[in-house]
Amino acid sequence: MSKNKKRKASDFVLNSITYLSSTVSLITLLGILIFIFGQGFKLLNVDLLVENFESQGYVADLYDNVRLCNCEPTIEFDENTYYSPKWGVALSDTTDLLGRTVVKVEFVDKDSPLYKVRDKGIGNDPIELRDEYHIIRIAFDEYPTALSRYGSENMINYLEANDSLREIEFQTEGGGIRGSIITTLYLIVLTLAFALPIGIAAAIYLNEYAPANKVTKLMRSLIETLTGVPSIIYGLMGLAVFVPLTVKLTSATGGNLLSGAMTLAVILLPIIIRTTEESLKVIPDDYRQASLALGASKTQTTFQIVLPSAVPGIMTATLLAIGRIIGESAALVFAIGTAIKDEVSLTGKSTSLAVHIWAMMTDEPANIELSATIAIIIMFIVVILNILIKIISGRYMKRKMGVSS
Amino acid sequence: MIAEAKKLQFRSTSKGKITDKIAKIIFMSATILSASFIFVIAGIVLVRGVIPFTTDNLGVGRVSLFSFLTGDIWLIGETFASNLYSIGFIIISTLFITLLSLAISFPVGVLTALFIAKIAPKPLAKVLRTVIETLASIPSIVFGLFGAGVILKLVYDFSALIGYQSKGGNSILSVVIVLALMTIPTITTISEVAIRSVDKSIEQGSLALGASKTQTNFKVILSSAKSGIFTAAILGIGRSLGEATAVSLVAGGRRAGISFDLLDTTSTLTTIMLEGLKETTGIDYDIRFSVGLVLMVVILLTNLLLNSIKRRVGVVNVKE
Repeated sequence: MSKNKKRKASDFVLNSITYLSSTVSLITLLGILIFIFGQGFKLLNVDLLVENFESQGYVADLYDNVRLCNCEPTIEFDENTYYSPKWGVALSDTTDLLGRTVVKVEFVDKDSPLYKVRDKGIGNDPIELRDEYHIIRIAFDEYPTALSRYGSENMINYLEANDSLREIEFQTEGGGIRGSIITTLYLIVLTLAFALPIGIAAAIYLNEYAPANKVTKLMRSLIETLTGVPSIIYGLMGLAVFVPLTVKLTSATGGNLLSGAMTLAVILLPIIIRTTEESLKVIPDDYRQASLALGASKTQTTFQIVLPSAVPGIMTATLLAIGRIIGESAALVFAIGTAIKDEVSLTGKSTSLAVHIWAMMTDEPANIELSATIAIIIMFIVVILNILIKIISGRYMKRKMGVSS
Repeated sequence: MIAEAKKLQFRSTSKGKITDKIAKIIFMSATILSASFIFVIAGIVLVRGVIPFTTDNLGVGRVSLFSFLTGDIWLIGETFASNLYSIGFIIISTLFITLLSLAISFPVGVLTALFIAKIAPKPLAKVLRTVIETLASIPSIVFGLFGAGVILKLVYDFSALIGYQSKGGNSILSVVIVLALMTIPTITTISEVAIRSVDKSIEQGSLALGASKTQTNFKVILSSAKSGIFTAAILGIGRSLGEATAVSLVAGGRRAGISFDLLDTTSTLTTIMLEGLKETTGIDYDIRFSVGLVLMVVILLTNLLLNSIKRRVGVVNVKE
């Protein structure tokens, strides 16, 4: 009896350990989600996706024929926001992404003389002062200049005390990730353009043409070995092979999107080949024989019978590949570089979303908030891809079973 | 009749035969190209990696291979203009970190797999499997960000609690935790497949002999799935050794002296490669390939060693 009790106790302990172990993964996932949403959610909006990363500075003055606004605010402000009825602007104090105190524009009335100002830098072009921009200084005639470091209340008081101003210097918000989003899209398209044809062709050869001999086995295992190579080593290869290659062939001067996409393509080859081959394997031989018996050539059979049946597998391979492209960082750090750019070109440097995070996190000071926002976007795409893969393979399994029964 | 049909087919496809041949050649060259990349990678890393040891590196002087592999100082940068690059201490700390992270991720991963496959009620198992799948598909940079934003703070607070001034939490411990969290899904997924594929009759035999369900799970099933679980560990180690960007965000970048202190900063073979990125020529550029070469050798040797152990362990099956 006591032995039985002892056994029950030890069983209970062992079972509890497995329960505890499983919670580790659950806590990790929850922790990651809570962290990235807690830090990054407030920055997540449409502006972020379409704005430039570098903030742009402007010096502007008023047009000659403007009138003062003297308008009531159309929205409510909190107590830390100061409003100037004369000029129709509301300002508040805030800290920018680098932790400096800046004066932020909260509201500009449509009738405000500051709504459209003249860009002094490049002639007479109008430029809008928008919400979220940072005002650096406002200079007046015969009055002290209002500087951002004296705060927004001071700036509003100065504005109220004057009927005109000499010039206003302000900055666009910056911190947007448009460039990195475009880069990531470019990389996806280019990489797939390189990797899919080669990968699918290799899978067709291995499954449809290759004789079952030692050479085939060797080639298979060589391709399989690629999966074990760490991505940073692929990065070295990109740096030493594809960067010089693209520099020679194009106008690129260093790491560029083409060299990055080629490097990613090599990383993806084993994944694409394996997934495609698996989908080729399950196509019943009857299909091929029937096609051949009807007089179709081997090539016709391959392209018109075998390949269409392998489409779900190829789609799964594509989705897996997209996930890998979006997540890859180490290889791209070497094969492209870490310069965050707003202007993206195929032969220039720029960062994918993942490398954007790395570049900001290795910078001083690290920008955790924007990194977390990008992480939310990456996670969102990854989850969508996962769901799509499940749907496709689920349908595929059903069809496969239908065929075999 | 058959001969006639064959003739007919031949005539109608004689033009197709040429396309067939061309198609085959195209498909075959794609395969050969794919298979040859492993040689391109190994070749280029080897060729560039030996440059620091065979040339005088634009006047800096030849790097001694022996001190490169055994020394404990890494003087990178133009200001030093030195040939003092050694990664002996980094090789050891890389292996140390990998071992420690496996010490966490292996038991946790295997037990999670056992839980999902055999112990958990079905709905719970389904939820956990989704959790593991999601974790497995999270890019490493996000783990790195989580490490830099959360783990670093926890480690920093912990070290402050025991009266230790750590460099913002950048430490061996942080790296170990981040790597362990990243490898748990890998180990769990593969172990679960191994556990599931254990023959039902072995399980039933154990139960019939009077062993409890839990005893069967731990003593019979785990040891029957030994080979697959070992494969999981090998893949986990591979991922730990090769991980770069996530680790670089929490390691702290140690340049000299070996340290086994868990709260001290560290460097791994991958993080040291990510330093000094701006160089495009000279020793700071080439030395990364040398480190890459060492990394590849380390991974290859670990794999060979582990696979030989696996072969030895795999033979003894349920004999405990």
